[in-house]
Order: sequence, then structure tokens, then C-alpha cells
Amino acid sequence: MKILVVDDFSTMRRIIKNLLRDLGFTNIQEADDGNTALPMLQNGDFDFVVTDWNMPGMQGIDLLKEIRKDDNLSHLPVLMVTAEAKREQIIAAAQAGVNGYIVKPFTAVTLKEKLDKIFERIS
Amino acid sequence: MSDKAHDISLEQAQELVSLLEEGKQQQANQLLEDVYNRRNDKLFTSVGQLTRDLHEALQDFQLDPRIVQMTEDDLPDAQNRLQYVIQKTEDAANRTMDAVEACLPMADDMHQRVESVMPVWNRLMSNDIEINEFKSLCHQVDDVLKRCGENMPQVHGLMTEVLMAQDYQDITGQVIRRVIQLVEDVEKNLIELLKIFGKEEARREAEKTESSKQKSASEAEGPIIDADKRDDVVGGQDEVDDLLSSLGF
Repeated sequence: MKILVVDDFSTMRRIIKNLLRDLGFTNIQEADDGNTALPMLQNGDFDFVVTDWNMPGMQGIDLLKEIRKDDNLSHLPVLMVTAEAKREQIIAAAQAGVNGYIVKPFTAVTLKEKLDKIFERIS
Repeated sequence: MSDKAHDISLEQAQELVSLLEEGKQQQANQLLEDVYNRRNDKLFTSVGQLTRDLHEALQDFQLDPRIVQMTEDDLPDAQNRLQYVIQKTEDAANRTMDAVEACLPMADDMHQRVESVMPVWNRLMSNDIEINEFKSLCHQVDDVLKRCGENMPQVHGLMTEVLMAQDYQDITGQVIRRVIQLVEDVEKNLIELLKIFGKEEARREAEKTESSKQKSASEAEGPIIDADKRDDVVGGQDEVDDLLSSLGF
């Protein structure tokens, strides 16, 4: 399983990468905003996206919308891991087709739970 | 300008008439010019005074040392300070993760070694073991103990590193406190400016900001620092899950 982690803070990318590695996912690449992530997704065979919301350049919510618009990517599961915690935002993300929503600060257990749930629903 | 000293006097007028009657044209002109100049002097003095007042008022306004210092020094300084906070927290996070990443393989390694010894060890504990098995078990246990003895001081050192990396909190806390103080000072000065330029303007601006705030309900805001005082944000992961499941997730 090839995963793309999108966050503008390298430390957060590193944390998520470590947690994912602990859960057995070792094929992980990184991008620092939507503008970097989108071409990577279009050119690579990624199976899963973990993205932040608030980033310079293209924000996570717009990346999600772009993914859903793209015929080759629209099936891709997207998990949002973000400090954005307004009800309106969570509803907006759900409407845009997010597969899971985790608010920061979060725990390893929460990440595992949401991943399990997403994969369970897909298979 | 109504200063009597600068008005033409009856004596001067009579002198002027007599000078003209006597045909002293040049002296008459001179007298008239004197009278005229004295009035102009007063006008020039007044304009000069006004100019000086205006100049000083402008000077005072521009050179309020606090405003100048804030824009020229304090605000760029605050930006640097906040950059420093980002740098410090990033360094601390990386120091911590470096140490943790170095610890985790050691923990996994120890766990694996213990696991591989356990089956034979359990048989030994229940007196169910062959002599040659016992010999190889001794070597395995010896290896585990040696490895443990080597690793633990390393783990201790790495844990101390994690501990020390937390000193960023003290340093960044102090820096942030100073930036908060500056923001308060700037706010006070801006309020003073708004008082000068009229409250109507301020009210209109406030309304504009309020309406733009309402528009951006689903726009990114960054970490919520006052979640307990707001009703438009969720209080944690449980509330996110509840909200999503209410939407059919």
C-alpha cells in the first residue's frame, strides 16, 4: 500500500509517517501542500492520502475536491488530519467526499481506528 | 491684523499730504512704502507662526516615538521572534523524534530476542528440558543479557535527550509573552488613532470584519485556541465522529 502524507509542517509529516510505519505501512511519500501533492497523485500509483487542511498554496479541502473531480483519482480514499475543528468545516469535508476526519491533537489509537474503518468500508 | 500700531495714522496721512503738496514725490513714496511694509511684516509673521505650528504638529504626529519604534523595530522584531518560536519548536520536535526513532528499533530488537528465548525458557521453568537444549539456552540468555546491558544506557541517554528537548517550552513561552505585550501596545495605539479619525469609520470597519467573519464559516482558521468559549467548533474527536455519523458516515 502506497500512501501520500500531505502537511506543510515537516514534523507533523514525520509523526504521521512514524505512526503509519508502526501500523505496518512502509511505502510512504510526503508533500507539503495540495499543489505539490496533486501531480504526485496523478503520476504515481498511490492507494491512500492523508492530508492536513490548512496549508499555504492549495489547501487540503481543495486537494480533496480536485481528487474527487479527477476520473483517475476519484476512488482514492482521503483521510483528513487537521486542527480545523469547526462544525461547518467538518460538514464541508464530508460533502466534498472525505473518508475520515481526525482533529489534532490526535492519538495513535485514533489513527488506527479511522484507518481500519476506512479499509473495512472499502473492502 | 487690527493692531493699531500697524494701521496708518492721521499724522502719517497729514505728513503724506504735506509732502505731496511740497512736491517731495520721492519722500512721499518712501513714507507710503514704510506704512505698507509694516502691515505686511505683521502678515508674514502670522503666516510664519502658522507654518511653524503646522510643521510642529506634523512632526509631533510622525515622531511619536512609540509609533515609530513599533513600526520600524518592534513589529519586524516580533516577526523574527515568532519565526524563532517556529524554529525552536521544530528543532525540539525533531530532537525528540530522532531520539524516539533511535529507541524504537532497540525496543523491537530486545522484544524479539526475549520472544525467541521464551519457549525453551518456559520449558526450563517447568523442568522439561534436555541438557544440550539447556546449553544453547544459556548462550541465548547470555546474549539477551549482554544486549540488554549495552542497550539500556543508550536508551537512558536517548530518554534524557527527549527530556532536554522540552526546554523549548520555557524559551518560546517567554518570547511569545513579549509578542503578546507588543500586540497589546499596538492595539492601544490603533485605538488612539481610531479615536482621532472618527468613530463612524471604526464602526463601519467593524461591521465589515464581522460580515467577512460570518462568510468564512468553512474556511481554514488554524488551531482553535478558545474551543471552550465557542459553539461553532467541536470539542474533540468524539464530537467529530458524532457529527459525521449524524451525516450518515
